[in-house]
Amino acid sequence: MAPLLQATGIGKTYPGGVVANDGVNLTVSAGEVHAVVGENGAGKSTLMKILFGIERPDAGELTLDGKPVSFANPRDAIEAGIGMVFQHFSLVPSFSVYENVVLGSEPRSGARFDRKRAIEEVRALSKRFRLKVDPLPAVGTLPVGQQQRVEILKALYRDARILILDEPTAVLAPQEVEELFIAVRELVAQGRTVIFIAHKLPEVLEISDRITVMRAGRSVGEVGRSEITEQGLATMMVGRDVALRVDRAATAGALACEIKALWVRSESGQPLLEDLNLRVHAGEIVGLVGVEGNGQAALIDAISGAGPMSAGVVYLNGTSLGPLSTLERRAIGVANIPEDRIAQGLAGGASVAENLVATKLGDRRYVRRGLLDLRAIKANAEALIARYSVRVGGADQAVATLSGGNMQKVVVARELSEQPKLLLVSQPTRGVDLGATQFIWRSLTDARDAGAAVLLSSADLTELLALSDRLVVFYRGKLVAAFHNDDTLTPEILGSYMLGLAVQTQEEVMGALR
Amino acid sequence: MSTTAILARQSRWSTFRKETLRAVTAIAVALLVTIIVVLLTSKAPLEALNTLLTAPASKPRTIGLWFDDVAKLTVTGLAFSLVFQARQFALGVQGQIYVGALASSYVALSPIGPTFAAIPLGIAAAMLAGAAWGFIPGLAKAKLGANEIVSSLMLNYIAIELCNFLVRVQLRERPGVLTSLKFPDAAVFSPLIPGTRIDLGLILALVATVLVWFALYRTSWGLKLRLVGHNARFAEYAGIKSSLIMVSAMTAAGALGGMLGAMFVQGQTYGKITVLFEGGLAFEGILVAIVARSRPLAVPVVAIFYGYLRQGAQLMNIRTDVPAEVIGVVTAIIILLVSSSFSVPGKKWLSAQFGRRAQPAGLSADGAAK
Repeated sequence: MAPLLQATGIGKTYPGGVVANDGVNLTVSAGEVHAVVGENGAGKSTLMKILFGIERPDAGELTLDGKPVSFANPRDAIEAGIGMVFQHFSLVPSFSVYENVVLGSEPRSGARFDRKRAIEEVRALSKRFRLKVDPLPAVGTLPVGQQQRVEILKALYRDARILILDEPTAVLAPQEVEELFIAVRELVAQGRTVIFIAHKLPEVLEISDRITVMRAGRSVGEVGRSEITEQGLATMMVGRDVALRVDRAATAGALACEIKALWVRSESGQPLLEDLNLRVHAGEIVGLVGVEGNGQAALIDAISGAGPMSAGVVYLNGTSLGPLSTLERRAIGVANIPEDRIAQGLAGGASVAENLVATKLGDRRYVRRGLLDLRAIKANAEALIARYSVRVGGADQAVATLSGGNMQKVVVARELSEQPKLLLVSQPTRGVDLGATQFIWRSLTDARDAGAAVLLSSADLTELLALSDRLVVFYRGKLVAAFHNDDTLTPEILGSYMLGLAVQTQEEVMGALR
Repeated sequence: MSTTAILARQSRWSTFRKETLRAVTAIAVALLVTIIVVLLTSKAPLEALNTLLTAPASKPRTIGLWFDDVAKLTVTGLAFSLVFQARQFALGVQGQIYVGALASSYVALSPIGPTFAAIPLGIAAAMLAGAAWGFIPGLAKAKLGANEIVSSLMLNYIAIELCNFLVRVQLRERPGVLTSLKFPDAAVFSPLIPGTRIDLGLILALVATVLVWFALYRTSWGLKLRLVGHNARFAEYAGIKSSLIMVSAMTAAGALGGMLGAMFVQGQTYGKITVLFEGGLAFEGILVAIVARSRPLAVPVVAIFYGYLRQGAQLMNIRTDVPAEVIGVVTAIIILLVSSSFSVPGKKWLSAQFGRRAQPAGLSADGAAK
């Protein structure tokens, strides 16, 4: 039997040179649950966007029922019978459930919106697929799990034969996951096909019939559920690539940063970070390992001053950071290379020189009596442009006109131009080409060798293993494991802690937390 | 001098040329449409057009009217440029003019009025009042998250009605009159050129231009303000207190608005306060700021061109059968063209024509650098 949906050799490069998909193959048969798994940044979402017509592939072809298809936009995909439920729902909170479901293809009697029929149809649909939800209340009043059902009903109402669920369990509580799986099985039983994006492996193994594994923009294999174990999947996901080794720190220096019983809560009171204790020494890189959103970002923000500390203290060389403003923290040696350089690390419309001096506006070398020393600012920019070989027309050029790698070099140059005491780094090489990556890695190890204590957060395990002297793993806001980075440490080991499959005992954690 | 420095200068120069070309084209297109409108509506179209295009420069008196407008448009344009650069959309200049004018009127009509201190104190009082009026929406935004567009617009109405009330009740010359007593001579800016309305206001406008430019491009406050305007999240990350910058930008713009109030009532045009004296000029500062791309040094240049059109339209209104509202068409087209970042039509063709000549010059500059 011919596969229902087949993608062959899909390639997608985003403007700026980020290769998101490179020769991806996916074969989905009718009536199966097909999981696509991979780490963050493996290219899953891009592939799904291509299947749903949001992005157009640069290479490769899609066939549906054996016939080549090409979707210019989601509407084409919907007409071909593909539905997608995003991780972030696209619902109108003030509209009722049935209004949301039929929105855009309302049943009519004459010119009038036939509400009665809409309610009946939604009720029937919900019954048929065992997606229990009352059609009448406003969507905004429902819990997340039910909102997700509304999204699924929306796709089914438009006769989706193939339903793509993008990390559907990420937002759900365990019982809700069970209910979702019941619905998914019901869908398949009635002849629909489900593509299920995930990175929680136990769930994947529970629900799917076949699994495609992606890594670094490629599909690395397709297996049946019965042919593979969780460990095997993790190995495929993370890969066996030997990390590019960087010179390790010769000796760790004195204690630089001490984090004691740190708690961070979100605005709604959810703990993002629970009772964290960690010491970082001068001249070492500590890698923060974890699936995104498990507390690493909250830690970096709390230390830099971008986010709150709810309880606990952080000392840098004996000074408590809590009461200090962002600028005061910078003044005592905190530097920060942020995750999103365009949104947070740079002012795109301002010049390279202005960006390079933006964090030093309290410094007498550049500002005296409130006046800018333009000559010093320009000299600073030209020196840093030369030292970090930023490719730019001149110090007056707007940063927004630079390429991604060069923008990142501007950020790195600014943060490392003064030797930091504590360097916070998030995703330093995301979307950056190989040459710039090596340069940035070198800059980080140079800063370390000059005595900086470095906290490195990255979604790229290869990067973490290459650079870190010690690694700590976060899972749901807790530090669950700590390691000295030696040759026995593999991505698989880290992966099992990242996914919450394994937890170290207190003694094991303490062993690596010197 | 390094190659990069020359490249940088060339790029700055080309940006300048591009922006100028854009503004000039916008004005030309707008004029063309105006001409068509006048041709279609007027019984004596040539006379009307002649008035529009030549009348402001025809007599010393009309030149005076023109430059009086230029001064005022410059100040309101500067006030808007300042908040726009911080990406705040405070629209409170109108209200600041009224409270500023009230403050300077109270000074002028007080015992200080006939003394030499009337002018400096009047201006200072006006700037303080305007600054306070600009500070309120800034504070409301920083502390309460109130939208500055709404709060500043509402404060405009309060200021207009406050002026109405105080003029009718306290400052009136006699009951039933909507103007105050004439200010003492010492409290009124004397004309720089006799027989015209050109007075201290023009000097104030030019000084303000230089000061605003200096503040924005030579002080750390200005750099912080521009960084907040470019990317507020980045500013926070860099340790800049963006709410402080925001409030201070709105307050400084308010001081400019207040000063404009003093320029109105203490200037040659009025020399007294009346109700609704401002006549909607404040909001034309938005146009000036947009066309000038919020660059303070470009503001007076734009004000000169736009002030000319404005006077031309008013004279056309008085002398011919075409109403001054035609200028609204011009204004609308200019804003539309400039804010939509249109590209000059036939640019490729133009660059092909000029390119051949420009190329060798560029090469020789490059050669000189090596």
